[in-house]
Amino acid sequence: MKTDTKKLQELFDAKELVVVNVGVSAFGEAIQKQGAQVIQVDWKPMAGGDDEMLKLLEMMGM
Amino acid sequence: MNIREKIEQANQEVMKIMLEGQPTWVDVQPAGDVIPNMQKNMILYAGPVIAADQIVKPVRVAISGAAVHDGLAKDMQEAWQKVLAGEIVIDSGQNYGCACGAAMAVSASMPVIVVRDTLTGACGFCTPHPGGKREVLRWGYYDDTIEADLCWFRDVFCPALGAAVRHQGGINLKEILARTAGMGDENHTRQPASSMACNMLLISALTEVDVPQRDEVIRVLAANDRFFLHIMMAGVQSCTMAMKQVPYSTVLAGLGGNGVELGIQVSGMGNQWFTAPAPKILGMFINPTWTEDDILGFLGDSCVTEVYGLGGFSAIAGPAYVLMTGGTFEEARRRSDCARSLSLGEHRFAPVPWDEGKGLPVGIDVRRVVALNKTPISHGGSTLKDGGQGGSGCAVLPMEMFKGALAALGQKAMEDNAE
Amino acid sequence: MKQYAQIRKNEYHDSLELLLATSILCEKDGIGKGNIAMGNAASKALFDSLGLSNPLAEQAGIMDVIIVAEAQSEEAFTEAVEATFEQMRGKKESNPSKHFDTTQDAVRAYPDAQLCVISVPGEYAKAEAMKALEAGLHVILFSSHISPEDELELKLFAQSRGLLVMGPDCGVVNLAGVAFLLGSVTDRGPFGLCGATGVGIQHVGALLQAAGSGASQIIGTGGGDLKQPVGGISMLMGIDALENDPATEYILLVSRKPNEEILAKILARIKDCSKVVVACFMGCERKVVESSGAIYAATLDEVAVKALELVGKKAMLQSESELDEMAAAAVVGMKPEQKYVRGLFTGGTYCEEAMNAFTALAGDVYSNAPLRESLRLKDSLVSCQNSCVDCGEDEFTAGKPHPTMEPSVRRPFITKEASDPEVCVLLLDFIFAVSAHMDPVGVVIEDIKQGMAAAAADGRKLAVVASICGTDSDFQSLGEQRAKLEEAGVLVCQTNYLAARLAGKIVALRNGGKQ
Repeated sequence: MKTDTKKLQELFDAKELVVVNVGVSAFGEAIQKQGAQVIQVDWKPMAGGDDEMLKLLEMMGM
Repeated sequence: MNIREKIEQANQEVMKIMLEGQPTWVDVQPAGDVIPNMQKNMILYAGPVIAADQIVKPVRVAISGAAVHDGLAKDMQEAWQKVLAGEIVIDSGQNYGCACGAAMAVSASMPVIVVRDTLTGACGFCTPHPGGKREVLRWGYYDDTIEADLCWFRDVFCPALGAAVRHQGGINLKEILARTAGMGDENHTRQPASSMACNMLLISALTEVDVPQRDEVIRVLAANDRFFLHIMMAGVQSCTMAMKQVPYSTVLAGLGGNGVELGIQVSGMGNQWFTAPAPKILGMFINPTWTEDDILGFLGDSCVTEVYGLGGFSAIAGPAYVLMTGGTFEEARRRSDCARSLSLGEHRFAPVPWDEGKGLPVGIDVRRVVALNKTPISHGGSTLKDGGQGGSGCAVLPMEMFKGALAALGQKAMEDNAE
Repeated sequence: MKQYAQIRKNEYHDSLELLLATSILCEKDGIGKGNIAMGNAASKALFDSLGLSNPLAEQAGIMDVIIVAEAQSEEAFTEAVEATFEQMRGKKESNPSKHFDTTQDAVRAYPDAQLCVISVPGEYAKAEAMKALEAGLHVILFSSHISPEDELELKLFAQSRGLLVMGPDCGVVNLAGVAFLLGSVTDRGPFGLCGATGVGIQHVGALLQAAGSGASQIIGTGGGDLKQPVGGISMLMGIDALENDPATEYILLVSRKPNEEILAKILARIKDCSKVVVACFMGCERKVVESSGAIYAATLDEVAVKALELVGKKAMLQSESELDEMAAAAVVGMKPEQKYVRGLFTGGTYCEEAMNAFTALAGDVYSNAPLRESLRLKDSLVSCQNSCVDCGEDEFTAGKPHPTMEPSVRRPFITKEASDPEVCVLLLDFIFAVSAHMDPVGVVIEDIKQGMAAAAADGRKLAVVASICGTDSDFQSLGEQRAKLEEAGVLVCQTNYLAARLAGKIVALRNGGKQ
């Protein structure tokens, strides 16, 4: 029942944290201020919110 | 494999063609002899399929002129009657792998540049660029002078080009692009460096073959710094003809306007066009008194270069063009970065020195266009309603085309997977 | 003033950017009230509730920005809007981090990435979290409004890959020495924290630091982890990881009360744990918790006290007699009618903790998040008798960022409560965070001073009691913020619990020791 914690241990021990920040850029800036590397994903609703396209994109691998 | 996996695999196959293909100019021969499925009574035009009665004036003039030139009709009026009646068959050039610049109409007797991709063996075609004269068939004019020029091209110029290129053993287009990297061409509306590089090879070959009116041939070549455009258009067609054989692929494989509609093709849907009302190309006008109202919507297939990652998608490689048409250096970079964010691959043969050595984007994925809700910008020249070039600039590609293509790809994928 | 509106098409900005833009816009000359938001259904409803309905706004789509504001003239409006967006553009351009359109693009370019922080609107958050997990990243999920079923699906998938989902609704995490979202920067030490309340684990971490110790890792599980159907997946994974982590010697667990089944699961896991565990499951019986072998803590403060005892250190907390002294001095000069407390909290956990502590000393407290339904305020914005309000709740934050990010939310309420002649003590919390406002005390200190001065002019003595949750490693200066409060005459306690007890003592004195 106990999980394999290898990947979590890698996270705990990370000498250089590389963080993908999806959304509010202020959160990414705060991480950067502490010296970790931030990769900002400029998130927007996919396909401008077009539901029909969203369904297609999901099926087609986006 | 599920649909996602099939799409991934198909796109990888298509990207291989784009990245590893070697489009090579191998010959110049009459269209009817080399273009598969081209008939004697067939005339090809630019952009998506369009009904004859919708065709804009410059294209109508060009088609009629081409028909008379080929002896399919005795005059323009008869020519058009035959077109309307279906006796002369007209069709979208890209569907045959033959790109048509602006209002150009291609008939069976016209010699075309033949580019062969040595990776797949597929071929692409385009009539040679007619030069800088304002009134040419390509811009929707036809008269006795133009007829004489067409005959000269058919009987003297093109056979000479063919002889030169065969003597060269073929000219690899990627090598030309690589050699001229960093020289400021964006290779759609601006290609002085590639034209000069290519012409150097041709002229050198011409000194070694025996062709009639060689000096005149050389003079015409030397005067045309846009010459490489039509060669590249044929080159792109040699790739896209193979790309359009790969089902499931969501990579852009065709782009062109007929003055009424602008359309795209995607690899996985073959020759099917996905269209939108043709936007106007804006930037600058040759005559400053002309306005938007004087020009037609997007007309021509020269934007197939964009499909290959050139032109507006490589704006940063040719920023002078952007500056000349009312933009800034930053805008040039923005256009390329936009195309990069929508593309699956990168050409590495022509790194841009002033852009951190980044390559040119290639392989627009229509899924990304729709998902990220942004379309790339194409460069191009605009055509006046009565014929002749109006100006140059750029146009944002309409999202509608990409959504149409995605819907069709999705539908087909579902149908094919239901079996 | 007339109402003006503008739509900016196809220009997406994140929610926080637009909330801050709203603040910037409303401070411009000639602009009254206003709001800027993306054109989704929830935001449109917000415009209506702010009295800023506009037919133009109806036309906006979810990719368009709606701006509606009252202005002295159309020029003033247009200029102010342009200046606002200009300022925002400037901020964006000065941010040097790499930018990508999607998580997959980002990971392709940076395959060494280990972690993904997600703060997108709730309806999109699950899909983004799945993409991050599929790309092999652990996830910190700040977004809320994700269903328990979706949370379960995410956590099961993550678990199968050995990845941890922290959230949804997780605002405090410290990993590998870096503080995320609304967490504080803390020193490293032997304690591994794992909890379902962000303020809870942040608070304990701060007390550890103040005593000269620290935390190895601080894992937030999100508020829904210890509920059904999720069943504690993230907390159990957290315990597993901390148990295996060589740098963690002791494990500290914090949460609001979990349901019976889940509590049993956690206790069983604790029993099986090779490291010493200190546990505070608020509202749980000592016997039950101790049956697992864990050390019982009744409050957040007590978690720190018990933990520090394990390493021979003392928590820096004011003693009972110190609080009595402070209370006695505070009531000198108060008018007879002054007998109530008014608490204004930025943290929901603190509001609840304060009410519990206060009630034991001085009676019932009304609230917008009450201990009992019968104590619910009819109007959250109108206090009654003893009242403590959570200013982070929607009725306070509508159209504004959370008080930790935008502390000005409390200002008008501080003034209002201070001017109420029946109020003897104001109770405030201040919470530092790496993404939060850099001078939370500064934003309200003038209102506090003016409130106290106005009371004095009226012959009243207003006591103000506060606590600060933060460390001396935070970007906000703990010393400077505390000094600012003390200079103004505010009574600063080490923790929220102590501050609430002090307020309770003050009110009890005013009521002649009545319980």
